[in-house]
Amino acid sequence: MNLDFTPEDELFRAEARDWLNENVPRTQRPPEDQAMREFDLAWQRRQFDGGWAGVSWPVEYGGRGLSLTEQLIWYEEYARAGGPSSELLFVGCNHAAPTIMARGTQAQKDYHLPRILRGEVAWCQGFSEPNNGSDLGGLRCRAEIDGDHLVVNGSKIWTSGAHLADWQELLVRTDPSSPKHKGISWVICDMRSPGIELRPILIMTAPGHHHFNQVFYNDVRIPLSNVVGEVNDGWNVAMSTLGFERGTASMSEQIRYGAILEKLIEIARERFGKQVLEYDEIGARLAQLRAETQAVRAMTYTTASRVARGLLGSEASITRAFVSQLQQRIRRIAVDVLGPDSIELPDVDPWIRPYLRSYSNTIAAGTSEIQRNIIGERVLGLPR
Amino acid sequence: MDLLPTDEQQQIIDTLRSILLDAAPVERLRPDRHGQVGNPDAALWPKLGEFGFLGLGIPEEHGGIGLTAIEEALAFREFGRALVSPGILGITLGSHLVAGHNSSLLTAILGGEPIGIASPRGPTTSGTKVSGPFHLLDAADAHHVVVILPEGIGLVERSAFTNVEDRMSMDSNTILQRGTLDLVAPLYWSPAESEMVHARATLLLAAYAVGMAEAALAMAVDYAKVREQFGKPIGSFQAVKHKCADMAIAAEVASCQVAFASIIFAKGERDAVYQAHAAKIVAVDAALKNAAQNIQVHGAFGFTAEADAHIYIKRSHVVDFLAGDLREQRASLIRTTTPPN
Repeated sequence: MNLDFTPEDELFRAEARDWLNENVPRTQRPPEDQAMREFDLAWQRRQFDGGWAGVSWPVEYGGRGLSLTEQLIWYEEYARAGGPSSELLFVGCNHAAPTIMARGTQAQKDYHLPRILRGEVAWCQGFSEPNNGSDLGGLRCRAEIDGDHLVVNGSKIWTSGAHLADWQELLVRTDPSSPKHKGISWVICDMRSPGIELRPILIMTAPGHHHFNQVFYNDVRIPLSNVVGEVNDGWNVAMSTLGFERGTASMSEQIRYGAILEKLIEIARERFGKQVLEYDEIGARLAQLRAETQAVRAMTYTTASRVARGLLGSEASITRAFVSQLQQRIRRIAVDVLGPDSIELPDVDPWIRPYLRSYSNTIAAGTSEIQRNIIGERVLGLPR
Repeated sequence: MDLLPTDEQQQIIDTLRSILLDAAPVERLRPDRHGQVGNPDAALWPKLGEFGFLGLGIPEEHGGIGLTAIEEALAFREFGRALVSPGILGITLGSHLVAGHNSSLLTAILGGEPIGIASPRGPTTSGTKVSGPFHLLDAADAHHVVVILPEGIGLVERSAFTNVEDRMSMDSNTILQRGTLDLVAPLYWSPAESEMVHARATLLLAAYAVGMAEAALAMAVDYAKVREQFGKPIGSFQAVKHKCADMAIAAEVASCQVAFASIIFAKGERDAVYQAHAAKIVAVDAALKNAAQNIQVHGAFGFTAEADAHIYIKRSHVVDFLAGDLREQRASLIRTTTPPN
């Protein structure tokens, strides 16, 4: 057991730190709409031009092909430098791309991977449906084969950024007669296809905040060459990406929350006084959060150690379940630290919108209940 | 960078675990109808000494094994799993206090001579001399006692305590007494601010707590797999399954942080104290929560003397109060101006 980084790793860290200090955007990331898209794409392009896009992508796909340790170092330095969350590009970079790498055809790889890496396109995810959220395997959005096309009819919902996306990773039912996890296909859908209609869904954070959508498909024609993996094998294809998200992709988020918590402790010290805080209820909660946030770092390092030994299994779901709740509690304590003024919603708002937004942490990408099922069944071996 | 045990470290874990399974099964702690069953582990110390497990972190030139706090923490996790008497902490801290100062006493300790623990039960004063009211744990048969104070850790003779009286312990397997020190100069003293014995105590207690949290989790999961109600194992119900998942989360959080803190400690880095506090906070929290959930998962059986589930909650409370409880640990952590990053 050791926490020593090799000289090469340290050199990599120094390079990453220098580049980030010079290049991290100094302007506030716009909270929504086209301005946010432009911001995220421009930042991705900048990372690409600097040679820092896709640090963990294999070299053959234009990445740097670095080890998970270097990836971890990159995320640490990224968080330290105050790098923005590039939420809109998350699906493309961390879902669609790894899936296409793993299961895509050469043509799919050649077309999509460079565009994702260079910051030319945004992707969204078409998984959840009005009647199938946690029970993803029961999805009903239909696709019938017509010549060399699929014809899609149905609807998807809670699609983050569908109104800002160029492409969608879409799960459709291609064989209604098979048992539910069979008969699903994973397809690349062009969001500009005729027959796609969006209904904006406003979210609870603040009036008019457009984050996700219901997407309707009315005889939408998608070339069969856009199917990733085999037709009817989409469930397996999808599981490979979800595993990725639950594993390592959220590492930078985990590290970023350390800085958020420290800012809150600073505010609390000013407001309550250093002395008072020590044995105060809010001080105790902040200390607990500090201990747990540090533990997340230890868990992240443990994950990297497991991956390095080829041992990574379902334990990653433990980290994810823990982190999503921890983030929620960090956002929650902001209200108590700020005091009465937190019922105001200021224009420049580092705390209240993010607090309200954090209610989604334990729902998106697998609710905490589903995470606990996974931990119970796959890690602990409890019966279904 | 690797937070997982090396092959050699895994061997230490496996060897110790099999010794403890054989020599210290948890069933040994089932109280008889009269409660207190005496120190169940007095015979364990010489055995552990024989295998070198009492001197893991003591330098070889002093007669120890010459390993680090990493291996000590791994051992304490196993001690916690087997609910080894708290006296193991007295032995370990005592050996560090006397190493390089008193070779005959060190030899005796590494051979299994018991060392008690004294923990404040009210305001104490220290400096060159220590005064105050204490709880004595596993000290009845010991000639020496390790005194754990906020300002440092010292070794005193057991006979230095006055007004010693036996008390029944909530944790019926811990031999508990009250005693007073009145201006007693410790034989050896390690101040908290300049030496690491205090952080070592915090770290090893955290490791012990991880072992308890993991043992309680394993017990609950094993039971949830076989106990049937409504024609199914209760572990198939989400109400129970999710409790077990929460226990697994708590244990994993704590175990990762204790591993991290032990490495930082072994490297002698400045933030070792911060990491040890963070470790004890998450580990004691996990031990207390998992022990409670384990009782709940066992239902009425969990509430009985013979289910063993109760021992984990009681021992967790004892461990919480040693070297600063959660309240003190949290106050220390929030006092830190700049956390490591």
